[in-house]
Amino acid sequence: MSQLELRKIRKTYPGAAEETLKGIDIDIASGEFLILVGPSGCGKSTLMNTIAGLESISEGEIVLDGKDVSGVEPKDRDIAMVFQSYALYPTMSVRENIAFGLKIRGMPKDQIEQEVERVADLLQISHLLDKKPSRLSGGQQQRVAMGRALARRPRIYLFDEPLSNLDAKLRVEMRTEIKKLHQRLQTTIVYVTHDQIEAMTLADRIAVLKDGELQQLGTPKQVYDSPQNMFVAGFMGSPAMSFVHVNVEQGEQGLQAEVQGGDGHSLKLPLPEYLADRVGKKVVLGIRPEHITQPQDQKSDQALVTTGEFTIEVTEPTGPDVIALIRLNDTNVHCRIDPEHPVTWGETAELMFDMKKVVFFDPDTEQRIAS
Amino acid sequence: MTDVTRPGLRPSRIAIYGLLILACLVYLVPLFIMLVTSFKTPMDIRTGNLVALPTEWTTIGWTKAWSQACTGVQCDGISGYFWNSFKMTVPAVMISTLLGAFNGYVLAKWKFRGSDLLFGLLLFGCFVPFQVVLLPMAATLGQLGLANTTPGLVLVHVIYGVAFTTLFFRNYYVAIPDALIKAARLDGAGFFTIFFRILLPMSTPIFMVSLIWQFTQIWNDFLFGVVFASGDSQPITVALNNLVNTSTGVKEYNVDMAAAMIAALPTLVVYIVAGKYFIRGLTAGSVKG
Repeated sequence: MSQLELRKIRKTYPGAAEETLKGIDIDIASGEFLILVGPSGCGKSTLMNTIAGLESISEGEIVLDGKDVSGVEPKDRDIAMVFQSYALYPTMSVRENIAFGLKIRGMPKDQIEQEVERVADLLQISHLLDKKPSRLSGGQQQRVAMGRALARRPRIYLFDEPLSNLDAKLRVEMRTEIKKLHQRLQTTIVYVTHDQIEAMTLADRIAVLKDGELQQLGTPKQVYDSPQNMFVAGFMGSPAMSFVHVNVEQGEQGLQAEVQGGDGHSLKLPLPEYLADRVGKKVVLGIRPEHITQPQDQKSDQALVTTGEFTIEVTEPTGPDVIALIRLNDTNVHCRIDPEHPVTWGETAELMFDMKKVVFFDPDTEQRIAS
Repeated sequence: MTDVTRPGLRPSRIAIYGLLILACLVYLVPLFIMLVTSFKTPMDIRTGNLVALPTEWTTIGWTKAWSQACTGVQCDGISGYFWNSFKMTVPAVMISTLLGAFNGYVLAKWKFRGSDLLFGLLLFGCFVPFQVVLLPMAATLGQLGLANTTPGLVLVHVIYGVAFTTLFFRNYYVAIPDALIKAARLDGAGFFTIFFRILLPMSTPIFMVSLIWQFTQIWNDFLFGVVFASGDSQPITVALNNLVNTSTGVKEYNVDMAAAMIAALPTLVVYIVAGKYFIRGLTAGSVKG
């Protein structure tokens, strides 16, 4: 149960022209599950390593429970880490792997045994204790790696893309397992991933990083519904948010924007009132697939909802939904359509636009226009 | 049933195996001659055919070589020199291998400014000809008071071998993921704990490579032995040379051959015992296991 503050962390590798971390500021509350996401090379793994103490920082402070630990050796920070490659000691049995850290810290033998038993029970690996890591499957190795971290009862757990080496089915299983474990143990976790679904499902809060800068820090809902800028908006969500450049106009029933379909059909989309000072200017409309659906009766008379006919360019059935592609102002836009409401590619279909949750960005700064 | 030629009987197969067996024989003939000659009586050698089996098997050549043959003025066989070689080889192999393992660990996993340059320079050590270091080494051993002693020879071989053993271990450890070191550091292990508890236990294949390589090099070395050792501390290679070149009386080829066999046996044994690791270690890391 520990609290971690990252204050203005900067990191430049020796000889590198550019900073890897450009002043990261994050407070992580006790028991919080924080996820760092971002594309590869964004600095998330570097940030993780600096928290662990495996890499030094150039500037800033890492404050663990009120004490600056930036100069403290990794072993004295009392932090455990689960690695992407698991990094199990190949010559030791599972039992020895879990006990290694405890032995080094001088815990008495009988206590070590108890602790190993406890962790093995927790992760259901009791039957594997005497095997060597090379005899285990990927999922089992993953569990052992987590067991090694849990056994020490450290102040902070770091997970460095722990699930990315597992196959899809196992990944979903382990994801649930990690979530359950966190809910049960209420530990402070910092978790790195590039998988935005993992981020959405697991996190209490998500920190989105790009080029060594924090783009947004917020709950999954905040990050998903109110992305700070176009990068965050495009990064979170699958299929990704579509960006359509439109002109804000003053119409008879309020603000509106005209969009042109691929076949020349056009539609006036209603816009929210907060865009009033943008009349006559361009904005970027950030629209998620679920904002464009088949017509739904219960929504038809709501404000900021409209329907129009568009040509379906491509359909991608996913099972629960059909993802359809249409063209709006020469941009590909994904729509999420109920499979009970069949659409065919090459034909026009009536689609409902729900503009209530659509977000808008300034085309120059790429920042979201505050509602 | 279709008429398919079994792969083992195809003419090309037969040609390949024939050639291999022939090559094998060519390499084995000297060993064969040495062995049979060492078991012949001097009479048999003078009158008989070189490749013929002994008409009368005798181990007199072996016992004489071991305990009675003359190496220069002394005539108590090569046994003493055989043990000299052991006293030189075993410590030299162990020390150079352990030093190499340690160097390799530092150069692969604790990189510091200029560590790659240092490694590059160290590699030059693999290419320095023996002859180049003879005089400076003699002067150094003299000043250390180790001239003409077994510890002196051990020192020379350790210095000479460290370049090779470092190369072996460094390249082996480079292939081990850094995450393992990171995990150990977070578990609280320090510099030496990581080396002794994590890396060394993983090093068996490369240990064997280093062991065989160093053992063969040091055991078979003649030049350092003849230059830096004298009299009682000489290794077996030097003694063998003295034995064969001692020119009193009739040339006893059976004794010469037996002595040569004795000199060659330890390296043979090492190869047979650790050989499978040698191949495995040399190819370790080249194929993902």
